[in-house]
Amino acid sequence: MMDISLCLKRPSRMGDSKRMRMTSNFQWLLLTVLLLYLMNQVNSQKRRTPRDLKCITNNLQVWDCSWRAPSGAGHGAAYEVCFENGSHSCYRLEKNVKIPALLPGDHEITINPLHDFGSFISKFTLNEKNVSFIPDVPEILDLSADFSTSTLHLKWNDKGSVFPHHSDVIWEIKVLRKKNMEIVKLVTHNTTLNGRDTIHHWSWTSDMPLECATHYVGIRCYIDDPQFSGRKEWSDWSPLKNISWSPDSQTKVFPQDRVLLVGSDITVCCVTQEEVLSAQIGSTYCPLIHLDGKNVAIKIRNISASESSGTNVVFSVEDNMFGTVIFAGYPPDIPQKLNCETYDLKEIICTWNPGRPTFLVGPRNTSYTLFESFSGKYVRFKRVELPTNESYQLFFQMLPNQEIYNFTLNARNPLGQSESTLLVNITEKVHPHIPTSIKVKDISSTAVTLSWHLPGSFAKIKLLCQIEINKTNSVHELRNVTMKGIENSSYLAAVDKLNPYTIYTFRIRCCTDPFWKWSKWSNEKQYLTTEAIPSKGPDTWREWSSDGKNLIIYWKPLPINEANGKILSYNVSCSSDEETQSLSEIPDPQHKAEIQLDKSDYIISVVAKNSVGSSPPSKIASMEIPNDDLKIEQAVGMGNGILLTWNYDPNVTCDYVIKWCNSSRSEPCLMDWKKVPSNSTETVIESDQFRPGVRYNFFVYGCRNQGYQLLRSIIGYVEELAPVVAPNFTVEDTSADSILVKWEEIPVEELRGFLRGYLFYFEKGERDTSKMRVLESGRSDIKVKNITDISQKTLRIADLQGKTSYHLVLRAYTDGGMGPEKSMFVVTKENSVALIIAILIPVAVAVIVGVVTSILCYRKREWETALLKHWK
Amino acid sequence: MSRREGSLEDPQADSSISPLPHLESKIQQTHSLARLLTKYAEQLLQEYVQHQGDPFGLPGFSPPRLPVADLSAPAPGHAGLPVPERLRLDEAALAALPPLLDVVRRRQAELNPRALRLLRRLEDAARQARALGAAVEAVLAALGAETRGPRPEPNAIAAATVTAGVFPAKVLGLRVCGLYREWVSRTEADLGQLAPGGPA
Repeated sequence: MMDISLCLKRPSRMGDSKRMRMTSNFQWLLLTVLLLYLMNQVNSQKRRTPRDLKCITNNLQVWDCSWRAPSGAGHGAAYEVCFENGSHSCYRLEKNVKIPALLPGDHEITINPLHDFGSFISKFTLNEKNVSFIPDVPEILDLSADFSTSTLHLKWNDKGSVFPHHSDVIWEIKVLRKKNMEIVKLVTHNTTLNGRDTIHHWSWTSDMPLECATHYVGIRCYIDDPQFSGRKEWSDWSPLKNISWSPDSQTKVFPQDRVLLVGSDITVCCVTQEEVLSAQIGSTYCPLIHLDGKNVAIKIRNISASESSGTNVVFSVEDNMFGTVIFAGYPPDIPQKLNCETYDLKEIICTWNPGRPTFLVGPRNTSYTLFESFSGKYVRFKRVELPTNESYQLFFQMLPNQEIYNFTLNARNPLGQSESTLLVNITEKVHPHIPTSIKVKDISSTAVTLSWHLPGSFAKIKLLCQIEINKTNSVHELRNVTMKGIENSSYLAAVDKLNPYTIYTFRIRCCTDPFWKWSKWSNEKQYLTTEAIPSKGPDTWREWSSDGKNLIIYWKPLPINEANGKILSYNVSCSSDEETQSLSEIPDPQHKAEIQLDKSDYIISVVAKNSVGSSPPSKIASMEIPNDDLKIEQAVGMGNGILLTWNYDPNVTCDYVIKWCNSSRSEPCLMDWKKVPSNSTETVIESDQFRPGVRYNFFVYGCRNQGYQLLRSIIGYVEELAPVVAPNFTVEDTSADSILVKWEEIPVEELRGFLRGYLFYFEKGERDTSKMRVLESGRSDIKVKNITDISQKTLRIADLQGKTSYHLVLRAYTDGGMGPEKSMFVVTKENSVALIIAILIPVAVAVIVGVVTSILCYRKREWETALLKHWK
Repeated sequence: MSRREGSLEDPQADSSISPLPHLESKIQQTHSLARLLTKYAEQLLQEYVQHQGDPFGLPGFSPPRLPVADLSAPAPGHAGLPVPERLRLDEAALAALPPLLDVVRRRQAELNPRALRLLRRLEDAARQARALGAAVEAVLAALGAETRGPRPEPNAIAAATVTAGVFPAKVLGLRVCGLYREWVSRTEADLGQLAPGGPA
């Protein structure tokens, strides 16, 4: 506070000292009265001097000082104000004084009321610390609104040129809404004064569309000058400026067609002169918030993603509806799996996945721009509506002599943007087109030239192409061909090591070096290679006719890989030392010829011919090499074939031939034959003609100098079955205790396997009682005999009872199973010795009993006679 | 001309006059076409509503019947007019509908670009309205009745129906689809008056 010292303008009036020295009581009383008087005078003087000096500044350059006027000073009283600030300055003025800002420190200020003789001079000590700094009221230069984004834009001047120092400024801005001035925003905004007038901007986006209600804005400031040591205060608020909407006839609901982030809150209002009855978002009704007049709003919180056509918000009045549509979605996701490659080194194709769906379509859909930073070129994605999981693609024309591309893919929609980058050496990302126009041209019967078209400008790189070669019933083969890329897109490759007269299917795919991706396989191209002469003579055999006069020559058609073309005919010749007989041009498919020959040694020669030429001849001697040591063996197969084995014979030099036929067929018997190499000792004979239960004859021949010797003769079955008939049997003889049975062999066709034995069952039984009973070996009253000696054809059953009926059953069996049974009843003859014994034994017993009885009776009478004699 | 008009005003009274076979056939064909399009128009309306989101299609949702440039719903007194006059009104309405349907289709292509069936139906509807209009015009010509005057420019109609917001556009589309259904149905009924065996 200011220190105030007062001095009287006029000299003080002295009391009468003589009277002061009167009696002490009186003196004290007098002194008291005097003191009270003096105090009253002092207070009176205070009231009659300027007081309560206050200084404020609004620019730190000028202090505006004011004071309370002395009591009694009239309106328009003048003062002389003097102060020291390096020099002595005095001002004459009425009430307050604007003085230049004083230097720091205390300054004495005297205020002398002029023309008022009852007033006193006031002296004040003024320091900057006692000065208040209250900035001028800020002036709003402009308040504007962007209704489409509900944003207010405020513009004001900081008037910084007024202030001598750089200072921090705090601006406080308030936004009020509706006519009742609800404060909806109070915000501080910091700037710095830099000695110049500066225009400042502040923008604020309202949560409620600006059309819904009038919005007011005011501003004040606080300047924090670091060099000013006095009290700093806020300025007064500026006058309020407002923004209001002039309703048009069409739009009643705000905001219109707003795009929002999913999960946001939004206020939607209806500006109307009619009473709004209800409001709904989609099918959900919302509580109304009443605004000025009949305007209403609804608050939508945490909005869900919209469907394609947006989310409808509808306000209903009595006879009308007003609405808007909100599009709630997401900003574009970072483009995923961005990949750039080229098919032809002319054009780059970049593909990507859009990632999370934005739920925004049509004009709000994500737009993509592919920017290449080295060239500065870019392409834009033309809007198409793709299914959400489908990848997008853009084409970028390649630039001459540029191999490295730095792509940035920018995704943008009304809610935001994202980007993905890719640096790529395009020569390493070549994914060639599918090869087309495949053509095949002959070089020879085993080689062709393939040509194809592969669009692209590959002159600077190498191509690797893969040719797939497919042959019927054969594993496909892949061959790689490396070639230098060319500009004109036509490529050639030779393919050799093919088979003559064979249908091949070719297809081609290509990649570049270094490898990135294979092209798709081309369409298949089928081609038949040209014919060559048959590589081998036919597989040949011969048989003598049953009368031994003719030699029948058989041969097999050549397999396709040996025929090397279409076989047109065969030539057969029989040569001996003396003569040669020939049969020419036997047309295919005849594979048999008959020539009348004597039993001399002939060499039979068979040649196959196609359009190109003849095969080497197949030769075979007409006569067999005899073999006296030949046994007939048995073999049983595995159902679909039969395994034949033989011992290694070093004399066999050419090959082995196994010939087979059905054993029931008449001679010459030949179903088929098979050649196996001379180093083999076994083979499996398989044929579709083989049937289970059928007996076959197999003959193993060994070849020496084109002549064949029969080495083994085997009868066999590929599979044995049970006999289909029972052996016929008869009773040859019966006695009182035995029966002799005899049976016949079963024919081979009905046996259906190798005979392993017979089972003979017998039991006591009458025809009528036992005919329904099944004879089973498990029953104790049935006797069974297993006859494993298959040469045995009779059986005597002994230890039977005489004159008894027996049931006899016979069946044959093979390894394939038990055959059916055949049965009969036989009665044994009567036993005469037993009959005689049966008569004699009772007679003999009766005689013995009679004799013994007679003896005993005689002895008894003798004893009684003797006893009587004694008594007597 | 006047005799024919008179006969059309009262088809029952005209039963003694044998209409030309080709006229009968033309009326029959046009009537069949109108009947078919009535069914299609109903399907279009349902499909349209289905794609606009709630509350479109909900019970109680009845947006105002916006005025549409150069086209209004059949007047209540339409049925009382002479048949040629009715057919002239039908034909005029059918001529005004295609550009409106095109506007709706373009707007729907932005709002529902993946609703291919709706877009196809709108495209078909424009074409079918044109075809039915031409067929009605041909019937009128065959009857010797005057056809309507100069047609408004399609672009002018389209321009007059451009709406500012999406919601009004949806409502307009609903209105246009509704008008299409009403006029096709009306045309079917009016042709039914002429068709052999039709109501008197």
